[in-house]
Order: sequence, then C-alpha cells, then structure tokens
Amino acid sequence: MVQKRDFQQVDKYIWELSKDFRDDMRVPAQLFGDAELFDAAFRDRTVEQLVNTATLPGIVKYAMAMPDFHQGYGFPIGGVAAMRTDTGVISPGGVGYDINCGVRLLGTHLEQDKIAPYLRDLTAALYRACPSGVGGKGRMRVSERELNELMVEGGKWALKRGLARQEDLAHTEEGGCFPGADPSKVSARAKERGRPQVGSLGAGNHFIEVDVVDEIHDPEAAEAFGLWEGQVAVQIHCGSRGFGHQVCDDYVKGLQPVVQKYGIQLPDRELVCAPIDSPEGRDYYGAMACAVNYAFVNRQVLVMGVREAFEQVLAGKVKDFDLFQVYGVTHNIAKFEEHEVDGKRMKLCVHRKGATRAFPPGHPEVPEDYRDVGQPVLVPGSMGTASYVLVGTQKAMELTFGSTCHGAGRVMSRRKARKRIRGSELRHELEEQGIVVRAGSMEGLAEEAPAAYKDVSRVVEVVHGVGIAHKVARLRPLAVIKG
Amino acid sequence: MDNRFEEVEHTADIAIRVWGHDLAELFANAAYGMVCQMADPDAAVRTVERLIELEAYDAETLLVAWLGELLYLDERDGYVFTDFDLLEVAPTRLRAIAWGGPVRDCRRYIKAVTFSDLKIVHTDEGYETTIVFDV
Repeated sequence: MVQKRDFQQVDKYIWELSKDFRDDMRVPAQLFGDAELFDAAFRDRTVEQLVNTATLPGIVKYAMAMPDFHQGYGFPIGGVAAMRTDTGVISPGGVGYDINCGVRLLGTHLEQDKIAPYLRDLTAALYRACPSGVGGKGRMRVSERELNELMVEGGKWALKRGLARQEDLAHTEEGGCFPGADPSKVSARAKERGRPQVGSLGAGNHFIEVDVVDEIHDPEAAEAFGLWEGQVAVQIHCGSRGFGHQVCDDYVKGLQPVVQKYGIQLPDRELVCAPIDSPEGRDYYGAMACAVNYAFVNRQVLVMGVREAFEQVLAGKVKDFDLFQVYGVTHNIAKFEEHEVDGKRMKLCVHRKGATRAFPPGHPEVPEDYRDVGQPVLVPGSMGTASYVLVGTQKAMELTFGSTCHGAGRVMSRRKARKRIRGSELRHELEEQGIVVRAGSMEGLAEEAPAAYKDVSRVVEVVHGVGIAHKVARLRPLAVIKG
Repeated sequence: MDNRFEEVEHTADIAIRVWGHDLAELFANAAYGMVCQMADPDAAVRTVERLIELEAYDAETLLVAWLGELLYLDERDGYVFTDFDLLEVAPTRLRAIAWGGPVRDCRRYIKAVTFSDLKIVHTDEGYETTIVFDV
C-alpha cells in the first residue's frame, strides 16, 4: 500500500510517485497540493486510484490529481490522464457517469443592492423556472428527431430554436458543440431517458447560485470577462442527466469483455477501456460526444430559465435585468488535443475527471475576445463559501495538459455529513449569513454542507501558486437553489 | 443492525456492503440496500409488479445490470421497488420479480451503479460484495 514516504516533493506544490513503485505503473503519478492537502490524500483511496490510473495503456508523462482530489471510482476525482491516440485507450470510467458535468457563469449589469429587496422572490422564481430534484423532468420534452439533432449539434441546435444567443455559444468550451457525435452509438434506453429531461438541474451537488463578485484579483482579465466588483452573477452547475449516465453505464458494462479481447490488464474494473483506435473505442467516443452535446443543451435551456426568472421578477424594477454568458466549462470529458510531450507535438486523448481545461492566452480555442488574457476557468466552491473565476496559463500546458482543478473537493463522506449536520440547521445558518436557500431535500443539503468540502480558497491558492491557473475574481453566494 | 447490508464510508459517493446465503439472496439484499439509500422502503405502497429478465457477461456485470434496471424503472415510472423474488440467478442470467410503488419523498437520486471495487466474494456464510453508487 502506498504511503506518504513513497512520494517525493518535486516542487512546492507537486508530489511525485515513481513508476517503479508498482510493476504495472507505466508513468509516475503526481499529486498537486500543499502539505495539508497532500496528507489528506491518504485518508481515502485517492492515491491508490491515481496509481491505478497510471497503469492505463498509452498514458504519457504522468497520472495527475489536481488539488481538489478525492476518492472517486476508477479515476480519482480531480484526475487528469492523457493517452497517445495510436497505442492508448479511452476509458468511460475516466470520464464518469455525468458526462460533461460542468459550470456556466452568467454576468449581469446589476449591483448587489439593486436586487437585494427582490432576492427571495428571485430565488423562488429560479427554483420554479429551473426544475431540479429527484425524478427530474426538464423544462422541455424533445421528440426523437429533436434529440437526434441536438446530440450532434449541441448549442447550435439551441441557437436555431431561439434558446441561445450567438455569444452564448462563442463563450462556451468547444463553442457548445462537440465534434464526432454519433447518435447510432447511443442506446434506445439512453434516448428514452434523455427526451423528458432537457433543461433540468438534477440533484446531489448540482446547483444554481446567485452570487456577488466580491474580490477582483486580475483587473485586466476581469474586464475582458465582463466582471466587476459588486456585480451580481449566476452560476449553473449540472451535467448530462439520465442520458449521460445511461451512455456511460452502457459502455462500462459493454466494454467489460472488450478489455479481455485486447489483452488489457486492469487493477480496477471501473477503469474499463478500449483502444482509441478500435471500433469499440470509436463507438464510445461517438456516444460520449452525444452526451457532451446533450449537457451543453441542458445547461443552455437552464440559462433561458434563469433569464426568464430575472425578467419575471426584476422587469420594471431595475434598469437592465439581462444576463450575458461569461463562459461555460466542462469538467468530465475525454478530448482529442495537441500537446507537447518531450519536445514533440503529439495528438492525445486527454481525460479530465473532475478537472477543468485551462488554456492560455493566444490559444486558438480561447474565444477571440478573451484570447489576449486566456480561457476563463470556473471553480465553484462549497455551498455558502466562495467560488472563483481563474484564467488558463501556459504553465498549465507545460505541466498538466492545460488542466486545473474543478471545485473544492470533498473531505467528508455523505454518511458522516448526514450524521453530523442537520439540513434545517444548516439552512438556518446560511440564512443568518444572508444567503437565501431553496432546496428540495434537507438531507441532500446536509450532505453538501461546507464542512464536507475542502477550503476552496486553499485549493485555488495551490493552482495559482503552481501557475496552472491564475486568480481573476472571487464570488460570494447570495442565494442557492438545489434539488 | 440490518443483516442484509450496511453503509460503508466513501468520500463522495454512497457505498454499501451486502451479504447473502446464496446469489439470489445477495442480489435481493443489494436491491433492498440500494432502495434504502433513495427512500424509506416502508413508505412505499406496493402497487406494481415487474418481471425482470437479464443476461450479462459475468456475475458482477449481472449485479450492475440488475440494480441498473431497477434504477431505470424507478426513474421511468416514478416508483421505488422494495421487495424482490430472485427466481433464478445463474452467474450470467437472472429472472426476478420486483414489487414496488410510488413514494412521496425520494430523498436521493442515484446516477449509476459502478464497478468500483466490485467483486462478489464467496465466504463461509455465502456471498459478500461492496457496491459503490455514483450520486
């Protein structure tokens, strides 16, 4: 079993485990964190899962865990692993069941005091306009034909239907439309589950939050992103719902015999995979891409719900109730990207499982109006604490295949959180802090308590200190909507 | 203490350890343990009966398929299934009846049943396994 002393501290915030530690490791493992976060990695199965990830065929450089790491299934959460496209594998377990779980940040033209008198009404309107919770029917039910279209077109489908603005798409990772989607690789069951859920938040750690920008760290980047101190903003965090979960489930089950076919030895069945260059690998990618686009549409339809709620409550009361899209990121995905490995440009399949892309200034995939400063990175904290907007860097390209953290990362099990924290008391505490809460489940709320998470500021200090993303702004919550 | 299953620690998700004297009992107890994570099984009114027939690659995949089928039916029909009769469980084939009904308070949504650390182990008393659910 791996211990702290097996790691070497190679940098202020980087701890490395040699690939000689275990016979089946193909590359070393790297944990990103300060001393306290590094210690915490050994309290659950994070490190073992990271070591397991390092055994995957075709993996290059390192198996990495961002500082919000914690135990997942297969990959640790916060996991980043890139595979060569010629000899490497693609793993549904390396993407997760919530394919393209991600975050959208919307900005407003409003100061906090302008909405303060209406905050409770606004929260109620958002709760109604953005369906959440178990059972989760969405704002829209689409036909089979519409579903087939949106699986391929993603945000472009929403644009055609008047559910998105051009700038919404321009300010979304991949332009809100992920290439390579193949609806014929998606099961009938996934499609059946997906049709009624478009525009739904789900439950668990998904949320909508009304925030205020309370600190600016990088005025130039903040200005480029349209953010200013005292500004009201909105975050949406959710994924591909039952559609994506079913796609992943289908392939995690379906690829079990395929691993044997290609002679791949796995230390954990959840790391099930297929060679990227194989019919099975291409099938999974085609289906995964459909789920990526489904999630882009799902979040876009929720954006429409947020715009509707703001108009409903604030029209006639404030000068401009409009919301614009700052950016949308994904943090569960496998993507084909070009990166430099040992001085050579290589096409790689980069898996980010609870990790966010963080591309630097000048990169062609960064929206044109942000290209001078870099790609926005959205890092929601735990409920009631803070969230951050960061910006991608060249250092991220050098160290982590252009990747960084995605959130605060859990430290306490849901079981412990339920035992120690009462949802109703937590809601009361948050309300005492001036945070309005609408939640469908008190038990769900308790499980998402701030005490169950790492300190997001600490996680952000690490990525800022390493240089794989730089702080731009901090957001503080005013209202939280959860399933 | 329930001798069918117990919840075990997992940082982010939900995990249960399940026992059974034979595979049929293991599968029934796994389904019961799963529904306990979502709702109070005693609060469900037993109004429907479903026949479930599945085949899978091996016993672990069959267990994932069985629990996944119940989750799918729960979502589709708005029920929870609380009672199970595993008529036949060969390692790669299953025939079962599940009874359940609507429940007012479904407190948790389970996204999926994972293969994480999933191994059905033969013990002196029968079978044991640990299942991690993605929530």
